[in-house]
Amino acid sequence: MLILDCPNCGKRNASEFRYGGEVHPRPPAAQQLSEAEWAHYLYMRPNQQGVQSEWWYHRAGCGLWFLAERHTYTGQVTRTWLPENPKSDD
Amino acid sequence: MTDSTERLAPQAGEAIDRSRSFEFTFEGRTYTAHPGDTIASALAAAGVRVFSRSFKYHRPRGLLCGAGHCPNCLVQIGDEPNVRSCQRPAEEGMAVKAQNAWPSLDFDLLSLTKYFSALMPVGFYYKTFIRPRFLWPLYEKVLRRAAGLGKVDPHSHGEGFSKEFLHAEVVVVGGGPTGISAALAAAGQGARVLLCEEQAALGGHLRFWGAQEALPGLLAELAGQPRIQVLTGTMVTGWYADHWLSAVQGKRLYKIRARSVVAATGAYEQPLLFAGNDLPGVMLGGAVLRLLRLYGVKPGHRAVVVAGDAQGWEVAQALRSAGVEVGAVLSGDGRDGAEGFEVLRGYAVAQAEGGRRLRRVVLADGQGGRRRLECDLLVLGGNWAPAADLAYMAGCRAEYDADRGEYRFAQMRPGFFAAGRVNGVPGIEGQRLDGQRAGLEAAGYLGLGSGPVAGLAEELRQLGPTPARAWVPPASGEGKNFVCLCEDVTDTDVQTAVAEGYESPELLKRYSTISMGPCQGKMCGINALHLCARARGLSMRQAVRTTARPPTVPVSLGNLAGQHLEPVQHTPIHQWHLDHGARMMGAGLWMRPEHYGDAAAEVRAVRQGVGLIDVSTLGKMQFTGPGVGALLEKLYVNPWRRLGVGRARYGVMCNDEGVVIDDGVGARLGEEEWYLTTTSSGAAGVFELVQWWMQAGWGKGAHLADLTEAFAAFNLAGPQSRAVLQRLTTLDLGNGAFPYMHARQGEVAGVSCRLMRLGFTGELSYEIHCPSGYGLHLWEALMEAGKAFGIAPFGVEAQRVLRLEKAHIIVGQDTDALADALSVGLEGVVKLDKPDFLGKRSLMRVAGAGSQQRLTGFRMMRPGLVPEEGLQIVGRRGGKLEIIGWITSSRFSPTLGEAIGLCWLPSGLAGRSGAEFSIFREGELLEARVHLGAFYDPAGEKVRG
Repeated sequence: MLILDCPNCGKRNASEFRYGGEVHPRPPAAQQLSEAEWAHYLYMRPNQQGVQSEWWYHRAGCGLWFLAERHTYTGQVTRTWLPENPKSDD
Repeated sequence: MTDSTERLAPQAGEAIDRSRSFEFTFEGRTYTAHPGDTIASALAAAGVRVFSRSFKYHRPRGLLCGAGHCPNCLVQIGDEPNVRSCQRPAEEGMAVKAQNAWPSLDFDLLSLTKYFSALMPVGFYYKTFIRPRFLWPLYEKVLRRAAGLGKVDPHSHGEGFSKEFLHAEVVVVGGGPTGISAALAAAGQGARVLLCEEQAALGGHLRFWGAQEALPGLLAELAGQPRIQVLTGTMVTGWYADHWLSAVQGKRLYKIRARSVVAATGAYEQPLLFAGNDLPGVMLGGAVLRLLRLYGVKPGHRAVVVAGDAQGWEVAQALRSAGVEVGAVLSGDGRDGAEGFEVLRGYAVAQAEGGRRLRRVVLADGQGGRRRLECDLLVLGGNWAPAADLAYMAGCRAEYDADRGEYRFAQMRPGFFAAGRVNGVPGIEGQRLDGQRAGLEAAGYLGLGSGPVAGLAEELRQLGPTPARAWVPPASGEGKNFVCLCEDVTDTDVQTAVAEGYESPELLKRYSTISMGPCQGKMCGINALHLCARARGLSMRQAVRTTARPPTVPVSLGNLAGQHLEPVQHTPIHQWHLDHGARMMGAGLWMRPEHYGDAAAEVRAVRQGVGLIDVSTLGKMQFTGPGVGALLEKLYVNPWRRLGVGRARYGVMCNDEGVVIDDGVGARLGEEEWYLTTTSSGAAGVFELVQWWMQAGWGKGAHLADLTEAFAAFNLAGPQSRAVLQRLTTLDLGNGAFPYMHARQGEVAGVSCRLMRLGFTGELSYEIHCPSGYGLHLWEALMEAGKAFGIAPFGVEAQRVLRLEKAHIIVGQDTDALADALSVGLEGVVKLDKPDFLGKRSLMRVAGAGSQQRLTGFRMMRPGLVPEEGLQIVGRRGGKLEIIGWITSSRFSPTLGEAIGLCWLPSGLAGRSGAEFSIFREGELLEARVHLGAFYDPAGEKVRG
């Protein structure tokens, strides 16, 4: 079972976490998007074979959402980190 | 009772204790055994030759590998099927039965299928049993009886299974000379080592052949090593990410986190391919040596030995010493007949003949010459395949070495090391050195020590490579030549499958089921690859092996399931509910009262007097800070920001698709203090989502605490609820002082509480929250205060009816993954002109385009007829019925005296009060009509009172 390095808690078994999907930022001006563009945001993901940035949630631990870089074919996680400046679209 | 006629004189180092003996039965007959005997060794000692019937053709099968790899010795013990009798120790009073034979092992009627084998070629079931279709139930019944091995008892409880977690720096898989050397080398560098050995005792093959004299010394070195933990009888069944291993020891499952792994798993002996190669009496060399030396059992009386390597010669000599006549030794490796055997060079086995057991072999010299030899034991030696499955699972790559005739590792995964015979190193000296090398490498990988010294590699090189062994192609003889013994797949079957186009090993495997039986390819995988390559004219390097996947051996489902441990969550009132006759139901992990005996009476109590329900399971979120208003504004579809202190409201949360995911009530307790509830089952998901958006940048100036389990909560509901509550608090509960949709904090029965007035049930009601530790006290105080008013506790079922009478939705019951907030009928809650919130963009589209379907209420036309939830609503189009909606909630209302509910209907129909529609139930049409709004107190006067 994969070991994930939670930026808060350190290395823990993957069963403590929940996969949160590929990094897929919410468009800031959603109201100006066409139907097709909005549907694309909701339902389409690159889903590439290779290294992707993705979210993980420390469900059975500290409750932190953090990022990981993982190769979708080999499964190897190269790094985990906290997003630096969380975007606020106030 | 059957005598042990084949038991030999005591052997040095044998595993049995002859000073004691006991009895057990096999197929109803009694046999003796000594402690240390396996079931198979005790039976073999009594001359038993047939142990099972094969899967498809019900051919008699005898001991073949003796190592727990092949399917031939599988038996049933009680409710446990597929027991490997060559591995399982015999026990006093054990009642062992054969599998897959009827009426008996010796006389199996199902073996008559052999006369129909032409009708059952490879993959026949894809082409037969299709027509006539009305016979399918019969086909299924017959096939189910005929197929499979062993019997599963559906009433068996599978008790005694357990699980344990282990951590080690180096896990060594395999406790033969290689594994022991690796463990010692790694521990010598300071590593904490776990050594797993499949057999009951360490030593591997040294227990019964080869340099057996080296074993005591190795074991002595190992004894008392504090950094080495040894597990015997433990099979490592799988490798998973980051060196996570599963291992099975009887009824225990080990989950092991290793930092590095050394595979010292040895090699599997391989059978040869010739007609009749599955007859009882055809055995692999290791099986013969185990029987002779570990159990003192004579495996036959007259043998022919195929000696492909040194082990084969040792077998011949050991047989002779045991008094077995050795008719001939087939050799390719140049030893002459000075050892007293008749040596036949250049001959191969063409055919084995016999009915239920071997009687003679036919040898061919490749130039048309044949010899027939009478024998009852044919020993196959000299063909090995590295037992590298675990390494392949870990992503190590191997390539076929045509010169050596076996797979060799080309690339290892970091942290995974292979040593000894599995790494192509034969012989005790090489295995000790290679084990040492791997142990030092593993330690070095962890930063302990500096790895193997340069001289070690040189020593290994000087010992020379594995002797070359060319693959022996199948002989052409009369009769079936089995490649896969587990699934009865023959050489012809493989050729047929390839000819039909199932060319790649992966397709060939799935079509022919070769290697998909209990041995999982240990006995047949390499032979199948050779045959596949040959049939397609490819070299072995071009044939890609099938993917190795866990488990390495069949594992009982009981091992994987473990103990029956199901956590449940109780509220502080749990015992009180049980003591007062509640029938409990599971709601997620929570246990909640469904009712206390009469849900309809509970509904009446709430409508006419007062009731109390335990809603402690609700999710509870405490927000503090200046940024909370802005945060909630974005998370929910309704406004929050301008909610006054002391006010409360109903809130709905959607995802960005506009789909309803949760609802609850929220109160502003202070300028910067907010308290919100979620549904019981949605609590974890909502909390996760809120965390996400807070961490994504919406949470500036806001803090969240999860009070779900910290607070208990009750709903005191009914016209008399104010009167009851007033007896326990000095808070002014007058309608002017504490109106509908307001919240207050104060003491109730001496407990600090937060109270909210909202109307899920449609009556005057107070939702009271307090710290869990005081929950039971408060509950009992409320029940006591309510006695004079005829207070009744009410459960989930009554609450469902009460809210349905008000046409209030339950998220997840009336909504699903496609139900957007507008179509559900929550237009009054959604504030589309907020600048941004989750779901706004999608809801704008629904608002503009309109909903195709809407959730609406209905009443049944016939009294007393309550349609089931989930029934489909139908309309007519072109004379045919089509589905136009379905029922999400449906109950008989004691308050109204009729059946009511909520359903999805096409928008036009859903909006027409009184419109009629039909519900389809088992061929009948039930009539209902649309009802808009609440069924009870549509003006909402009761809640505002």
